[in-house]
Amino acid sequence: MQVSEFSEDHLDVLKELMNIAMGNATASIADLLQAFGTMHIPYISVSHMDGLKLFIEETIPSDPRYYVTKQLFGGEFGGEFIFIMTNESAFNLGNYLYDVSEPKTADILDAVIELTNILSATIISRLTEELNTKVQFFVPSTEVIDGNHLIGIDETLNYHKIIIVSTQMIFQNQNISGHIFILTKDEMIERLRALIDQKLEELYA
Amino acid sequence: MKVLVVDDSKLARLSLIKVLKEFEPSAEIFEGENGAVAVELFKSERPRVVFLDLTMPVMDGYEALKIIMEIDPKAQVVVVSADIQTQAQEFVLQLGAKMMVPKPINSEKMLAVLQQLVF
Repeated sequence: MQVSEFSEDHLDVLKELMNIAMGNATASIADLLQAFGTMHIPYISVSHMDGLKLFIEETIPSDPRYYVTKQLFGGEFGGEFIFIMTNESAFNLGNYLYDVSEPKTADILDAVIELTNILSATIISRLTEELNTKVQFFVPSTEVIDGNHLIGIDETLNYHKIIIVSTQMIFQNQNISGHIFILTKDEMIERLRALIDQKLEELYA
Repeated sequence: MKVLVVDDSKLARLSLIKVLKEFEPSAEIFEGENGAVAVELFKSERPRVVFLDLTMPVMDGYEALKIIMEIDPKAQVVVVSADIQTQAQEFVLQLGAKMMVPKPINSEKMLAVLQQLVF
């Protein structure tokens, strides 16, 4: 499939569905944190892996340590959900959720995993619900990663052409924020396009 | 009846207009893709109802709502947003919105909205 077949309409639909999904996720996290989150316009693009690397470098604030959680999902539509928090944000999250001034690394990891579970389940479930399909989630993993190695060799090998769906979650008063990426590739891009076509047909019927 | 539909997503505008036309087939629709366009269209067309998204480029829905309510405190603005946080709803109602409806809007929600507006 030619990925360039993704039209402006396809990208617009994906952006709007992501916006709806993100709205649900922000509300769930707002409940967890008992705080108000700011929503941002999702960024959608079709890219090579090099494009992702460049995008991440330009988008994510420089930090020597990042908490990176990855979760695969599969079904009629599948891909990888990646949530990236700076060390500072993750520390603030642990501090806020555990109500301690110096949260332990294990507590921070636990807090990040909890937050990411809610985020990924809400976003992907809502996104796929809007696309009239279902997905299965795989066990997520969280790693503390050196700032220079956010995109590893495994990702470069796993993906050829990808769709980047990126947005931010910001809870300003708590100084907690994170970047969300949903990566999908190859045959899944074609399936996603077919699902969006169905949505567009319904709309124009 | 003039109706202004403001959303940066073409899909969202089309979906909303489609369900609106089920109930108000003769409605004259004006479309805007951000808050700044919404304000200009509101000034020039004085629509009876404004359907306004919140998360938009150039000028967001909060800012547009504030300006529209300053222009006409009796404006009927319905916020249609993916942001379903209670605080977001409280804030837009404080700013003068008639109501807030979670996206995506469907026939049932549209009917409930139209029943609460003054024509």
